[in-house]
Amino acid sequence: MNKRILGAFLTVALGAGTIAGIGSYVASAKNDSRVLAATPAGTLETPEGTLPHYTLEMSVYPDSMFGGHGKDGGPHPDYVSYGPVTNFTVPAHSAVTITVHQYDSGETITNPFFAKAHGTMDGTITVNGQKVTQIAPDTVGHTFTLHGLANGQDQLFVSVPLQYVPEEDMPEEGYSATPSVTTFTFITGDEGEYIWNCEFPCGDGSYARFGAAMSTMGYMSGHFNVVKA
Amino acid sequence: MSDLQTKKPQWWKSKDVKVTAGLWVVLSALIAYIGGEVNSRPMGEAASETMANTIHIMKLFTWVSAPVAGLVAAIAVKALMQKMHFGDNPPAEADHQIADSPKATAVWVIVSALLCLFALVFGMVVFQRDNNTLLDVHAADINVTGQQWAWNFDYADSGNFQSADLYLPVNKPVHFHVTSLDVVHSFWIVQMGIKVDANPGYITETAVTPTKIGVYDLRCAELCGLLHAYMQKKVHVVSQQDYNNWVTSHGGTI
Repeated sequence: MNKRILGAFLTVALGAGTIAGIGSYVASAKNDSRVLAATPAGTLETPEGTLPHYTLEMSVYPDSMFGGHGKDGGPHPDYVSYGPVTNFTVPAHSAVTITVHQYDSGETITNPFFAKAHGTMDGTITVNGQKVTQIAPDTVGHTFTLHGLANGQDQLFVSVPLQYVPEEDMPEEGYSATPSVTTFTFITGDEGEYIWNCEFPCGDGSYARFGAAMSTMGYMSGHFNVVKA
Repeated sequence: MSDLQTKKPQWWKSKDVKVTAGLWVVLSALIAYIGGEVNSRPMGEAASETMANTIHIMKLFTWVSAPVAGLVAAIAVKALMQKMHFGDNPPAEADHQIADSPKATAVWVIVSALLCLFALVFGMVVFQRDNNTLLDVHAADINVTGQQWAWNFDYADSGNFQSADLYLPVNKPVHFHVTSLDVVHSFWIVQMGIKVDANPGYITETAVTPTKIGVYDLRCAELCGLLHAYMQKKVHVVSQQDYNNWVTSHGGTI
């Protein structure tokens, strides 16, 4: 084969291989592959009729030492993190009840909009046993905010504030024995790919506190897929 | 003097020029059609006069500039076709036929400058017309807040209620006051042709009058971090009555 043609071919192949390698690395590094599927819990009466009911439980920790990130907290032991995983699947056209145990402290949220409940059934959430539509903006620890692409899929937007653990109740070591517990229910539409993230700027040490844990998959954000029931 | 010495070469009769001219026409038409017509289809149907103007001006500029691009492409293609050399023993540098033509250079510079000037003036006139909505005292005011990676809206003229959804009444001017709480985002309603940066600590403004009932796309147009691609919303343009109903159902006032 002509040397020039061979050289051109090898150059193109090398370029394509480099791009494929970078793509594969980014794809594998971008996310935690573990997925938690919602647990069936019978049916639930909703404004849309009786729907299959599913539940999910998750927690928010002030660091990554709870075990979900591996021994000694993984690569970022100081990062605040959701756990045990950050990727979830729930069935389509179902009522999904999520319970979040929140172990972190907090302060005033930058956008009071996210101190209110949005997109939940009846517009309410249950915080430590009390049904409310919002919490005080200066008591927010984190949020669970679910949204997705504006393409053909249903527009699911659910945002729930998670109350903080008062500073005086935060232990020197380990996690508080009295986390705030928030429960909320929402109704899923058609199948679709969504993401969730925290809207409380908790990426300490980064610009506007939206870097670090906030900008690393597997900590304060993840995938939330609505799949065929 | 002999005839040979006095007769000017009729360059336009040369085969090279004829082939180049043919290529120019074909390539200009192709560039104009692909750039102006095919390329504008993904922009969707215009949902405002601003977007209709944007699409119109983009097509016009593409058609006007296509002959310039077409000529460059034609000369390049002709040169590549004719001057390629395979194998060893390439021709000496001195054999390359490079000619200087001050006239051609002057025509090229003047035509390009006039085209640029035309585009500048025409664009400024269109932008100025669009910006008149910003001064409309009857426009509805909506405050837009972006943060990684969500938008929320404060309906200042309707009881100041907040929502994660953007609903707009058809045929009524809307004045957006846009800001960010963290990094730079960009508020872009695709089919309405408006896009403005959302800067932390500042309020930027843009305005539009939606002209068609429908559901459109709001996207962040500034790479803003991990989940930038998901910073999207649907924009609902509805009748005034439906808009009033939506506002009151969300605790707002008319």
